[in-house]
Amino acid sequence: MATEKLDLLILKTLDLEPRHGYGIGQRIEQVSRGVFRVTLGALYPALERLERAGAIRSKWALSENNRRARYYTLSAAGRRRLTTERQAWERSAEAMTRVLQADPE
Amino acid sequence: MSGFWRRCRELFQRWQVDRESVLELEQHVALAAADKMRAGVGEREARRQATLELGSIEVVRERLAEGRSGFMMEQLMKEIAYAWRVLRRAPGPTALSVATIGVGIAVSTVLFALIDGVVLRPLPYPDPSQLVGISDTNVALGVDRTGVATGNIDDWRRESASFDGIAGYYSMGRTLSADTDADVVLTAQVSADFFPLLRVTPLVGRTFTETETLAAQFSSASAPVGTDPVVIIGHDLWQQRFGGDPGIVGRSLSLERRPFRVVGVMPPGFALPEAGVQAWIPWDLSGERPRDQHYLGAIGRLRPDVSVGQADQELNRVAATLGRLYPETNEGWGVRVSPLAEVVVGDSARVLWILFAAVGLVLLVACANVALLSVMRGLDRSVENALRLALGSTPGRLLRQSWIESLVLAALGGAVGLALAVGGMRLTPSLVPDFPRLDEVALSGRVLWFAIGVTTATAVLSGLLPAWRGAHTEPARGLRGASTRTTGTARQHGIRDGLVVCQVALALVLLCGSGLLVRSFLALRAADPGFNPAGVLVAPIFLDSQAYPTGEQSRAYYEALFTRLEALPGVRAVGGATTLPTSPLGPDFDRPVWPEGTPDERDRIPAAVRMVTPGYFQALRFTIAAGRPFDARDHSEAPPVVMVSQTLANRLWPGQSAVGRNLVVDYSTTGTYPYEVVGVVGDVRFRGPRSEPRAEIYLPHAQRPYLIMLVAIRSDGDPRALIPAVRATLRDIDPQKPAFGLTPLKDLVDATTVQDQQAMVALLAFAAAAVFLAMLGVYGVLSARVRERHQEIGVRMALGADRSQLVGWVALGGFRLLGWGALVGLLATWPLSGLLASFLYGVRPTDPITAISVFGLLFVVGGVAMCLPSWRATTVDPVTVLRRG
Repeated sequence: MATEKLDLLILKTLDLEPRHGYGIGQRIEQVSRGVFRVTLGALYPALERLERAGAIRSKWALSENNRRARYYTLSAAGRRRLTTERQAWERSAEAMTRVLQADPE
Repeated sequence: MSGFWRRCRELFQRWQVDRESVLELEQHVALAAADKMRAGVGEREARRQATLELGSIEVVRERLAEGRSGFMMEQLMKEIAYAWRVLRRAPGPTALSVATIGVGIAVSTVLFALIDGVVLRPLPYPDPSQLVGISDTNVALGVDRTGVATGNIDDWRRESASFDGIAGYYSMGRTLSADTDADVVLTAQVSADFFPLLRVTPLVGRTFTETETLAAQFSSASAPVGTDPVVIIGHDLWQQRFGGDPGIVGRSLSLERRPFRVVGVMPPGFALPEAGVQAWIPWDLSGERPRDQHYLGAIGRLRPDVSVGQADQELNRVAATLGRLYPETNEGWGVRVSPLAEVVVGDSARVLWILFAAVGLVLLVACANVALLSVMRGLDRSVENALRLALGSTPGRLLRQSWIESLVLAALGGAVGLALAVGGMRLTPSLVPDFPRLDEVALSGRVLWFAIGVTTATAVLSGLLPAWRGAHTEPARGLRGASTRTTGTARQHGIRDGLVVCQVALALVLLCGSGLLVRSFLALRAADPGFNPAGVLVAPIFLDSQAYPTGEQSRAYYEALFTRLEALPGVRAVGGATTLPTSPLGPDFDRPVWPEGTPDERDRIPAAVRMVTPGYFQALRFTIAAGRPFDARDHSEAPPVVMVSQTLANRLWPGQSAVGRNLVVDYSTTGTYPYEVVGVVGDVRFRGPRSEPRAEIYLPHAQRPYLIMLVAIRSDGDPRALIPAVRATLRDIDPQKPAFGLTPLKDLVDATTVQDQQAMVALLAFAAAAVFLAMLGVYGVLSARVRERHQEIGVRMALGADRSQLVGWVALGGFRLLGWGALVGLLATWPLSGLLASFLYGVRPTDPITAISVFGLLFVVGGVAMCLPSWRATTVDPVTVLRRG
């Protein structure tokens, strides 16, 4: 999975509520109906990258089953980034679709 | 700010960040496994599947670490730590490498600091590149550089467009007294534009006004007679004699018994027109002056757009015009304009550059040594390297590791070197006390950068070969080597031998250079100066015209002095002359002379004039080649007589006797008349063994009294023992004329070759260091060879080889290294020793005796280096070897 795409997916997932790493992976897998499967080697470097860039913040907290887990939250900068990247993605996806669906003349 | 704290944590809490990641990753896998168990999979199987799907935690952990801030730095630190461990495993060779590099860097840094302070840094005056020194020159008379004739300066100023100003000066020791203490202080009398031209402002007070300069008339060059005389004093004198009195301006001090008013104090470090001057008095140089008395010092400031070469050409055109206008005084006289920095520094620059080149060579030998040690360490580790390559490490990584080892070595050496250099710099002034501008030598930023640069260069040079070699290990061969106990390929041994050959070659170059300097120095010391300085004490006496206005009075002073000195115990002879060989003091001037009846004025020869007392020739043990020396017959009422030097006699009357002939001396102040030649004095090398004998005339002091006299006292023992008695005698005769500059003549003579001595000693030390390092190399390689061929030696011994054959085998290898090194070195020495040519005296750069002795020395020392490895070869026990084999 391309890094920008994964970044966008993570940002979108965190837009709704803070989650831990496993939660993020699960959510992406569920919503994409199993199309996107996130491995540790893709997810965690992306999370660290986003945190270094200031798009997300992390905090250790108790999980639903009372275990300490690292929860990731979207920051204000992250939210702005989500908006612009999402628009950019939609524009390019639209363009992609148009090109692929164009009839031969 | 965003993400800043995260980055900080990555940098400063690496360990926690890593631990948290591991915790998080494990949790992730655990959660995934838990989900699978809920779907009915067994615990172990669930965990296996989760790991399979998600990937290995260890791999992710490494990937995370690589992405974090400071990863490169951490990696580097790890590699440095590893290099440190490797180096510590062999403490001996490591310490040796560090010491070698350290000493090399220290010596080159100190030398660079010297070069920087003495040669490279501009003089500490405004726009120093425009300042030049001017001297007269006369090719036909063989005069390279001499003082400027006073009468020409005004014409130069008028006729040349290159200069903003030209100032004249003359410096000599003068008796200065404030309160009661009298002391001799080097005093410069300077023309009106001296200070304006230098653009230096005094620390306190002001420089001279025009009125003050115009009032400063001199009856002769050494006798100021103007009214209300003024003086500027130096910073040191101000501090030492006047306690830095802030109200010094306006105070009066006495110079030669005349009161001078202090108008200013120069800043510390102001050392013009020459080092040591601590008093300046104005001197009116305008008006009619003789054009044939070359004694004036001259400095000029060029106009901003004029180069030194242009100024030199233009001034020489002016001098040529003057030569046509005044042929009897100026014909043949030219000018030399050179940067003032060169004049101030003189020959020291050449010595420094040669030493700098030499230390560069030593540093190269040191680099080769360190490289050699690294290569040998690398050979010991070829199995390890092969293993690492086989296990997936890249050649690049091995190369980097090897580089880092060299870098660590060089950095340690650099640190040691810098510490040594700081210490060495403190010692420098005492090692080379007579160097100019020593007070400007300091550990400046530039010197520091140089040290860093040298350290880096050392790291690069010493790391190049080992790194390249380490990276070219072939895994298969290396691993096989581990089992058969032989180490290294032919090519690797080639590198090792090549390094030693280079070392020997470089050491030979240095040995040859220092050998030549030794031979040259011995020749200088053995050269016959024409007199015997041993046992002679020199006492300079500068009488003033204030207390001794007539010749009668100065004659009386000297007569009293000589009688008292001759009565001192141990004194054999006492004599005086206006100037003594090798002494910088006293007037050394020329006058035109010609045999009576010479029709053409142009056949006049300038001859150096010395007024001497009869005892002078005996005190210095001159040879009297013909006729007689002066004696009591040549008193003030007797007919005027003269003695001439052999060189002058040969030129005026070649092949004939000079004694009894009449010689005319043009002595401007008293007119021109003939003197009868009564004797011929053997030639003297007046300015040291390198100077050529000159045309000289000697006049009896009784007939031509002079205020200045350098008194030579010959005694039986150490001339220094006479110093207290001479001091007391002088004080007794005239308390206002205290003793100064009492020096054994031998010291003055030795001072003329002191730079040769310094260069020789330094080069010898460098050569010794290089030879030592090269021999360490020879020793190291031979030892390694014996160690590596242990088994072969054992087998040979078992098959009946005796010890002498083994020693022969080791020695042959050693001599082969030496031979190749010597050959390469000799080829390199040929062009390089030419650089020394201008330094050598009585020996040619291609001197065979030097070459042969250097070869002999190298092979003897080399033989010593081979002893231990040879002996080791004979101690191999064949039984042990075969059993182990």
